[in-house]
Amino acid sequence: MAIRVSSTIADGAGVTAEIERRSGEHISSCYQCGRCTSTCTGTFAFDYPPHRIMRLLQLGQVEEVLNSRTAQLCFDCMTCSSRCPMNIDVAYVIEIAKMIADERGIEGGEKDVQLFRLAFLKNVRRHGRLHEARLMAWINFRSGKFFNDISLVPMTLRKKKVHIVPPRIKNRREIHRIFREVTAKQREE
Amino acid sequence: MTGAGDMADIRDTTLETPEAAGGPHADKTYSYFPGCSLTSSAAEYDVSFRLVVEKLGISLDEIEDWNCCGASPAPHHWGGNLGVLLPARNLHHASRDALVAPCVGCYNRLKNSQYEIASSEEIRAQAERLFGEPVRYETEVLNLVEFFARVTTPEKLAGMAQGRLAGLNLATYYGCLMTRPAKIMNFDNARDPVSMKPLLRATGADSGHFPFKSECCGSYMGLARKEIVLRASRRIIEVADDMGFDAIITACPLCHQNLDLRQGQINSTFGTSLEMPVLYFSQVLGLALGLDSDDLGIDTHMVSARRLLEKIRRGADATEEKARVS
Repeated sequence: MAIRVSSTIADGAGVTAEIERRSGEHISSCYQCGRCTSTCTGTFAFDYPPHRIMRLLQLGQVEEVLNSRTAQLCFDCMTCSSRCPMNIDVAYVIEIAKMIADERGIEGGEKDVQLFRLAFLKNVRRHGRLHEARLMAWINFRSGKFFNDISLVPMTLRKKKVHIVPPRIKNRREIHRIFREVTAKQREE
Repeated sequence: MTGAGDMADIRDTTLETPEAAGGPHADKTYSYFPGCSLTSSAAEYDVSFRLVVEKLGISLDEIEDWNCCGASPAPHHWGGNLGVLLPARNLHHASRDALVAPCVGCYNRLKNSQYEIASSEEIRAQAERLFGEPVRYETEVLNLVEFFARVTTPEKLAGMAQGRLAGLNLATYYGCLMTRPAKIMNFDNARDPVSMKPLLRATGADSGHFPFKSECCGSYMGLARKEIVLRASRRIIEVADDMGFDAIITACPLCHQNLDLRQGQINSTFGTSLEMPVLYFSQVLGLALGLDSDDLGIDTHMVSARRLLEKIRRGADATEEKARVS
C-alpha cells in the first residue's frame, strides 16, 4: 500500500506533535523494524498494522490514522509496546489517536465499537457500577442487531449470570461529580 | 515441565495440618475490590475466591460502596482522566494496607490510576476537589496470583492439597492486563509470565509451557465486533487443545467470557469441535483444597469440566485404594 504524501488535515505535523505530547512517546525514534506488527494480535482486522501507523504519524499523514479502523479496533493488549526495541509504547500512541478521533467525532467506519464505549460509560455514570444486561440490550437496540448473542441469553439466565435489577451504589453523586469534572475539563481545553 | 517426582518430594516434606496454611503475611486482613463482573457474569469467580480465602484463614474487608473501575472505555475518553479518577475513588476508600482485585481488568486500572496520581500534582488536586480531602492512594494493589503467593506458600499449599490434582496438565493463560504495561504493573515478566506456576504445581497438577499464555483474546470487541473475538480466541483454545491441556486457567473475567461463553459460537462459526474447560485460578486452588466443584461454581461455565473432574475423582479413588491396600 502506497502512502500518499499530501494530506488534507493541514495541521498534520501539529497533530503528530500533539500525540507525542499527550503520550510522552517519541514517534520519531521508530525505525520501522516491524516487530510491533509481527506480534500484533489484531492485524487481521486492521487496515493499517501498527508499524504503518507509526510511519504515517512520522509523515504527518494524520487523516489516515484518525480515520483508520486500527485506531478504533486496537485491543490495547500492549504486546507491541512490550516488544518495541526502542521502548516506544506503541499501544499508547494508538490509544491517544483513538482519543483524538473520538474528540473530533471521527468514527473510522467502526460506529458500533465507539457506541459500545459510550454506552458503557453512560451505564456506569448512571449506576456507579456496570449493569451488563442493560448494556447488552442497549447495544443491540442502537446498532440494529437485535438478535446479536440472543442464543446466549437462556443459558446465562439459567446459570444465574445476569442481574435483571441494576446494581446501584449509594453515593452516586460522587460518581456524577467525577464525570462532570472530567467533561468540564475537556471542554476547557 | 516438572515430573510427578518433584511434587512427591514437596508433599512428603510438608505434611502439615490445614490450619498451618498461612504464609508470612497470613494474619493480615486485606481490602477487597470485587468489581462489576464478579457481581454478575463472573459471580463464580467471586464465590470461589471467597471460599479459598476462607479455607486459608484470611479475612477480606470489601471496600465500602465501591464503584466501577471504568474498564477499557474510560481511559480512552474525555482526555483520559476518567480512567484515573474512577479507580481513584476506590483507592481512596480502601481502608487496609493492601488491596486485592481478582479481576485483572480492575487490577490494571487501579494500578494505572495509582501511578498517574503519584506522578501528577494536577490529578492529585483534581481528586482532592472531588473527594473533599487529600486523596489516599498508597494502599498496595495486588492481583489474585500475587495475593495467594503472599498469603500462602507452594509448600504449605502442597501440604493441604495432598496431590489432589495429580495427572492434570493445566495451561496457564495470563492474557494482557496482568503484566502490561510493564513499567506500571511491575509484576512478573510481560513477555513470558510464570507467576501462576509455583502454586499450580503445588496442587499436584502439571503445567507445561503454553506458548499462547500472553496472547490477546480479543478484549471488549465481543458485543460490537463479535467475529474479531471469535477469531482471536479460537487460536488460543485450539493451541491448548492441540497440546493436550486439560483446561485453560485464567484470572480475567473478560478472557473467561471470550474463551468459555463464546466457545460454542467459535465451534459453530468455524466448524470446530472444541471442548476446552476454562477455569479461574481460584477455582483450581479450590479443587486442590478439596472444595466441591459445584460450590466453586464450575457448573456455571458453558463448557463442561466433566472430564477434568472425573480425572480428579479417579485420582482420589486410586489414592484411597492404595491407602486401603497398604
